[in-house]
Amino acid sequence: MKEVYSTGEAAKICRVSQQTIIRCFDAGKLQGFYVPGSRFRRIPRDALTKFMRENGIPLTNLDSGKKKILVVDDEPDIVEMLVDALQRDGRFEVKTASCGYDAGILTQQFQPDAIVLDYMLQDINADVVTKAIKANPSLEDTRIIIISGMIEDDKVQSLYDLGVHAYLRKPFQIDELVNKISELLYV
Amino acid sequence: MGASGLQRRKIEVLLDEVDSLPTLPGVAHRLLSTLAAPRPNRRDLQLILESDATLSMRAVRLALDLGSPSDSVTSIDAVLAAVPFEAIVADLLGIEIVDPQVAADLDLARLWRHTLATGMAAQAIANRLGTIPPPQALLAGILHDFGQIALAVALPRAYRQVLDHATSVSTDLVEAEHKVLHVDHATVGKRLASRWGLSETLQNVIWLHHQAQVPAAGAPAVAALAQVVRLADLVVRQEGFGYQASEQLRDSTTEVAERLGLSIASAEQIGRQVASAFVLNVEPAGLQSSPTPEQMQAVLSAARVQLGRMYRSQYHEGRRVEAAARQADLLVRLTGDLAAHRSAKDVLTAVAAHMREVLSIETVVVYMVSREDNYVEGVIGAADGTTEHFIHGLKKGERSDAAVSGFLAATVPALPGRAEGTESWLFQRHGAKLGAGPFYTVPMTAGDTLVGGLVLSAKPGLGGLPPQEAAQLAALASTAAAALKRVQAESQLVNLSEQLAEVNRDLSAAEHDRVQRRNVAALGEMAAGAAHEINNPLAIISGRAQQLAADETVPARQDMLKTIIQQAARISDILADLRQFTHPPAPKLAEVDAAALAREVVAEFQRGPEPKGPALELSAPDTAAPIRVDREQIAGALREIIKNALDACSNDTGGTVTVAVQPLGPQETVRLAVTDTGTGMPPQVRARAFDPFYCGRDAGRRRGLGLPKAYRAVVASGGQVTLESSPGRGTTVRLTFRAAQPAKA
Repeated sequence: MKEVYSTGEAAKICRVSQQTIIRCFDAGKLQGFYVPGSRFRRIPRDALTKFMRENGIPLTNLDSGKKKILVVDDEPDIVEMLVDALQRDGRFEVKTASCGYDAGILTQQFQPDAIVLDYMLQDINADVVTKAIKANPSLEDTRIIIISGMIEDDKVQSLYDLGVHAYLRKPFQIDELVNKISELLYV
Repeated sequence: MGASGLQRRKIEVLLDEVDSLPTLPGVAHRLLSTLAAPRPNRRDLQLILESDATLSMRAVRLALDLGSPSDSVTSIDAVLAAVPFEAIVADLLGIEIVDPQVAADLDLARLWRHTLATGMAAQAIANRLGTIPPPQALLAGILHDFGQIALAVALPRAYRQVLDHATSVSTDLVEAEHKVLHVDHATVGKRLASRWGLSETLQNVIWLHHQAQVPAAGAPAVAALAQVVRLADLVVRQEGFGYQASEQLRDSTTEVAERLGLSIASAEQIGRQVASAFVLNVEPAGLQSSPTPEQMQAVLSAARVQLGRMYRSQYHEGRRVEAAARQADLLVRLTGDLAAHRSAKDVLTAVAAHMREVLSIETVVVYMVSREDNYVEGVIGAADGTTEHFIHGLKKGERSDAAVSGFLAATVPALPGRAEGTESWLFQRHGAKLGAGPFYTVPMTAGDTLVGGLVLSAKPGLGGLPPQEAAQLAALASTAAAALKRVQAESQLVNLSEQLAEVNRDLSAAEHDRVQRRNVAALGEMAAGAAHEINNPLAIISGRAQQLAADETVPARQDMLKTIIQQAARISDILADLRQFTHPPAPKLAEVDAAALAREVVAEFQRGPEPKGPALELSAPDTAAPIRVDREQIAGALREIIKNALDACSNDTGGTVTVAVQPLGPQETVRLAVTDTGTGMPPQVRARAFDPFYCGRDAGRRRGLGLPKAYRAVVASGGQVTLESSPGRGTTVRLTFRAAQPAKA
């Protein structure tokens, strides 16, 4: 769980400009401290939470400590299985989608930290989704993990080239998937 | 009867010897004078011929001897049209002359006049009737009493008796002839005419002109001509132109005239016309004159000289024709020879041999240029009788075509030109074998294409080729060129058909490949689709089993769940293999030492627990020439093949699998061979060894993709795979690769 935020991070979470955070900081509306020996501002978690509450900013972007995972697969049994595994782990907050369209909407809303994406969806393939995510600056930290029934080796390479972070072939070890996710999110 | 039979027979024998008959001195004199002129007048000659029976007969016989059909020789006009003038002149120059004594004794002049008058009368009658061409009637009339001339000239004394008898008993000549000679002049004449091949018509006229009856077998026209002549004969005799001084006419002129459709008055009128016209013809015919011996001598001398001259020129002509015929013969033989040959080399050799045989040459070169003009093939026939074949490339411009085009342009065959200038390439390359010159060249052309050329040198001491042989060269070159062109065309045809067969083969191989590829592509599509479909449920099975296993405490149950997970993975692997089989990844080529690779792979098998099974041996040099392949794929392929080999031996303890690496000499290839001493494969299994999922064994544990994958890997890396196997004799799989080009230091 993140304890301390920079002004930039705080700005992102509150969806305001960094300048606004700085002003608020300087005005005492947002409490925090300077990094000793520098002019860098830091905002502790509870201070931020308080600030957000006071100003009516939705707390969705503030992490509850759990990482947000979006699972996208058109096979419901697989989705169920993955949700089960991830929730059991306890570190994750999971949402699901079963087609590219829903995935798109949810990604915008949910702003997942990672997305587990089946390569071949009914309405779209993962290339397009990956490109869309990469094109969206607010999602630049989102980790992309592709799962698939069948992809050729050279296709896999091109996925990595697009910016995909991991690829697993079905059937996979669930442990392996979970480890991979946490590896990517908790360095 | 016996005596008359004998007499008759004697006469027959005598007459069978008669080959030509003489003419009167006067006629002969007139004839020879006409012929002796520098350019004998044709009209004068025709007139003389048409006035004399023996000359007419001689001319007719000449026409028949030279091949005219008898039915076409019906008039002097026809004879002159059919026979070359020179030939008639030459023949007539040899005319024989009646002994003047005999002529006087038998009053042959009178007989001659009778024949001329009859001819003229017959012509006039034919004119009046319009149904018979007058020139035919004229000839028939002239010749009708030919038999009489024959008898008179052959048996003068006997005929004198005939004439005397006729006068003394006041009978006609025919009766007198029967009495004295036991044969009459009509029969004799017909016999001679028949022997000499005259037409039926003329034979009949000579034979039947005395008879009233129309011969039953005769065609109406035949009969008509005989009757015309008969009438003419009677009419002129009435006018006093008979042979006998006084004669009685047996036949009735009126009757004959009327049968022909003429009134007696017309017939008599014709007679009078002939009588008056006769005077005009007598002199030109020579019937009037009796030349003196000196005159005869002079004219005979001139005739002899002329004959001699004609003979000489004919002789030379004959010689020339003979030479040309010989040449033609040789050419025909050459053509026949050449037709049998199928190869250019044979044709060239045959032509060279022929030329050596036929011409007085020392050295001959016969050569052919290829169509694209970049090589020349030829044969040198040397003076010592040996022939040497050569073939080599020819740079453009080495051969000069200037002389050739000049030759081609000449409409008159030109004499051969000197070779040293235009055929310098020949002298440069083969000069040593050619000997001393000078050399001449004749191009060989077929149509307007230049096929090649002849180069030759004359025998030493001859100072060049004899002119008649030089003239032969053109024909020879032509014949040889035709044969060479044919041979070239034939070999081109063979090449084309071979090319066609090859293209056909390639096409069907390409088609086969295409179909195979399509099948594989289809299989690949299916595999991909199947993989996707199947992997999803597999993921669920596997995933849930994993979750159960995580919570399971009973070890046995945990094992079971683990098994489920493993088998699900296995299914997925099979699908992945299949997909990869149909979509092999592009090989990453690098230089690989085949020997080192083989050593590595074999070592993998030899690691691990001591196998109870077959022995695995490696036979390889320390290093082999590098091959450019995908290391991993080839190692995998080798692994598969070795596994297969080991399995084949597994029933047989003591079996051996040998892996050999052999560099192969000149082609610079490297071969890896895996041989097992196992059960071997029957032909139907061998044929399918590389088919996906095919397993020759009943209880196969293998997936069946190993060998096909290996095959594809090797081929993708540019190698070749062969499999050799027979039941009970084991199997050998050979992978052959081209060595990578070594970098030249």
